[in-house]
Amino acid sequence: MTPLQLHLVRVFLKIFLRDRQSIFFSLFFPALLMIALGFANSGDAGKIRLAIANQSEGAVAQRFIDSMQTDTMFEVTLGDESSLRRGVVEGDYRLLLVLPPEFDVSQTAVTTTDLRLVVDAAQVRELGMLMPLLEQKLLDIEREFRDMSPLFSLAIEDVQARSQSYLAFLLPGIMAFTLMQLAIAGSGFNIVEYRRKGILKRLFVTPIKPSDFITAIVLARMTIVLVQLTVLLLFAVFALGVELVGNYATLYLIITAGTFIFLCLGFCLGSIAKTQQSIMAIGNLVIFPQVFLSGVFFPIDSMPAIIQPIATMLPLSYVATAMREIANNGASLLDIAPSLIGISVWFVVAFVLAIRLFVWKEVAN
Amino acid sequence: MAIIEVDALTKRYPLPSGKGGTFLAVNGISLRIRAGEIYGILGPNGTGKTTTLEMLEGLTDIDSGTARIDGIDVKADPYAVKKIIGVQLQANEYFDSVSLTELLELFAALYNRRIDPLELLDRVNLRDKANAKPASLSGGQKQRFSIACALVNEPKVLFLDEPTTGLDPQAKHNLWDLVRELNHDGMTIVLTTHNMEEAETLCGRIAIMDHGEIVAEDSPQALIMKYAPEPPRAPLHGDIEDVFLALTGHALRD
Repeated sequence: MTPLQLHLVRVFLKIFLRDRQSIFFSLFFPALLMIALGFANSGDAGKIRLAIANQSEGAVAQRFIDSMQTDTMFEVTLGDESSLRRGVVEGDYRLLLVLPPEFDVSQTAVTTTDLRLVVDAAQVRELGMLMPLLEQKLLDIEREFRDMSPLFSLAIEDVQARSQSYLAFLLPGIMAFTLMQLAIAGSGFNIVEYRRKGILKRLFVTPIKPSDFITAIVLARMTIVLVQLTVLLLFAVFALGVELVGNYATLYLIITAGTFIFLCLGFCLGSIAKTQQSIMAIGNLVIFPQVFLSGVFFPIDSMPAIIQPIATMLPLSYVATAMREIANNGASLLDIAPSLIGISVWFVVAFVLAIRLFVWKEVAN
Repeated sequence: MAIIEVDALTKRYPLPSGKGGTFLAVNGISLRIRAGEIYGILGPNGTGKTTTLEMLEGLTDIDSGTARIDGIDVKADPYAVKKIIGVQLQANEYFDSVSLTELLELFAALYNRRIDPLELLDRVNLRDKANAKPASLSGGQKQRFSIACALVNEPKVLFLDEPTTGLDPQAKHNLWDLVRELNHDGMTIVLTTHNMEEAETLCGRIAIMDHGEIVAEDSPQALIMKYAPEPPRAPLHGDIEDVFLALTGHALRD
């Protein structure tokens, strides 16, 4: 780095750091999001909320309810059918199990009792998952009362065996999303602001080279974003107790590359947009689809098949996927090779575009 | 000897209607500006004064014609020209939250130079504002600071684009003193203005532009002799500005 670039980086660092308000808000929102998600999923995370309307007086029904209540996988609420039904509609319970009056087992009878399951049709996918669990429960009880020992025993274990909270799953996504926003705003919005004030024009009549200017802003902004993300990460780990299994050096390599990509894309947007309003509009056009399509909050697998290939190729998808693989599954660089290739391609594309589009004479005027 | 040589300089802009077509902002003007003079480009708004200056500064592309500053072709080697000129633009906003001292150091760094910011601030009478932010300066102070920024590379030619527009009389006279001082030290100064008094008392020679063309060029006295409809009458008791200054004093109000 040349002394001039170094000097410029120092000046831009000063400028960015003295803007306390925007630094505060850039950390405030993601931290708030994490706290909210942390609370929403603490404690009973993963428990299936089950409502049971017991219309039977029999011992078997009572035995079944006891058994469900002691099971850590379920959170059982008892009540009458009509009010619990409403609860299902309102989303308070995942499903309602109605035990009919004739629900009992006599040692001799071979009639089958029908239990009714009331579920929201939208949750029909979960039903497939839950049915075997319930059937297994009923079978156990039936055997107990009929005094039969099972021929086979299939032990069902908690599928969340890795004991990972939703927040731990979400953290890399939130970080990737935050770095995208900070980087695009950091470079793109600044360019438009400097043009509006005539600063770009003033700089252009000095012998500064565009590459020196871009390098200085990118490096200074990169430093700030890395510090901001580190604060978020420390907050998540120490204040919210999130456990990350991956290698931090690898994680930061991806973060740095991602920040570079979005800073360059921000430069492109800032060069195209002429006014503060248009940079907001164009910025949102780039940011919003990525929020929804990049698997930050919803997995890409759950999207329509037509969108999936496009969604996978978005820069934020590569960055978020790589970060999640590293942070949650301890993936090595080799494991995330496909994401790395995507990140590298975007790295080059974004940089070349930024240099091409930032024609000082045109951007300044 | 001419330090600035301009020949048939032309700039076309597309018509604002967006339906194609162009208009001539600067229509083939030629100029010779001598080393060490204060040269004024005078004219109503929108006659191409700023465009002419911006072509000389390398800010705007030259469509045709040539411009040479100190023998260097602006089109061929804009970077070499930028090193020997100082520029004060009409817009004079800077980065928020950076002090005058820090800004001057930054501008010096752009020329690969080290300067004493306080000494420069002394020259423009702003030493006591060394740690202030540009946004807190008054109009006159901002203009003087812009000139300080333009001086970091000890330029041979200083371009001032409407330096006194919007200033109160005290600040205006103070700025003229500064310009004369710089000129006295040997700096060539090119300025645009639509202030007649500025053209008449400050500039050694002026060019009057209209519709992208130079309609007259000479010393203010010679132009008055040639074009003024009748010999200028000396007002008996000065003009209203003298009254204003007598009542409010010459001291700067920044």
